[in-house]
Amino acid sequence: MTRGCPEYISDLNDYLDGAIDSSLCAEIEAHIGKCDNCRIMVDTMKQTVKLCREGKPEELPEALTSKLNNLLKARWEQKFGKKE
Amino acid sequence: MDERALVRQAQSGDFSAFTQLIDAHKGKIYGLARKLTGSEQDAEDIVQDTLLKAIDKIDQFRGESSFGTWLYSIALNESRRHFSKRQRAELQEIEEYLPNKGGHDHTTAQMFDWRDPHQVLEDAEIRRLVDEALEELPDKYREAFILRYLQEMSVKEVAELTKQSVASAKSRILRARLAIRDRLSKSFEVEYDKRLS
Repeated sequence: MTRGCPEYISDLNDYLDGAIDSSLCAEIEAHIGKCDNCRIMVDTMKQTVKLCREGKPEELPEALTSKLNNLLKARWEQKFGKKE
Repeated sequence: MDERALVRQAQSGDFSAFTQLIDAHKGKIYGLARKLTGSEQDAEDIVQDTLLKAIDKIDQFRGESSFGTWLYSIALNESRRHFSKRQRAELQEIEEYLPNKGGHDHTTAQMFDWRDPHQVLEDAEIRRLVDEALEELPDKYREAFILRYLQEMSVKEVAELTKQSVASAKSRILRARLAIRDRLSKSFEVEYDKRLS
């Protein structure tokens, strides 16, 4: 019996992450070749992750970096004592 | 020097060993907190509280996970304290994200095909819609999605950090991805109509 879209949808993440065996992968690819909605689903799921990853890398603000250095040092000395 | 040796030195009071241990993770923790809370101010507080807590608990670190995973678990707990109290609707069942649940009659509902949104929308507009879609996710799903795809952790690592089984972590990741896709799809359809009409 051929599986339908609802059965495939649970495997789509593993398919997109390359985490399924080759026979299921071939089965999904054959299904996508025939089913326009599943093709769109796969393509847009792929883009979803890509779009979420876009944008500037999150860097620690400079002001926070210097504030942190002082705070951490103070907490460290409180815990372990001041090194001469 | 390897991580274990640095941890031993830090546990015996060597501050420079501790700073070496955290240097590789500070920026990532900030990024994680920024995505999870959607707030720069909260993210700064979370980084600060996480690292202070790491100092307080450094002698309790037994090396059962990597130092990075241990730090992330503190950061995740700190982030959860900052999550907005706004109740978010639970997500739909996985199959509900299909346009026609039966899956065999493909002519009744054609799914909207975004193609490449960059060809229609400005980057800033796409960014705004993506942030809104992430913000709308219930916390446990947003967490799983961000750890898996933005922090690039394996499903097993996500499961460990969120104290879920691998199957449950997998399900959360999939449902989050489907929900964001669905939300983006609806937003793009509206925006495309406005711009292309």
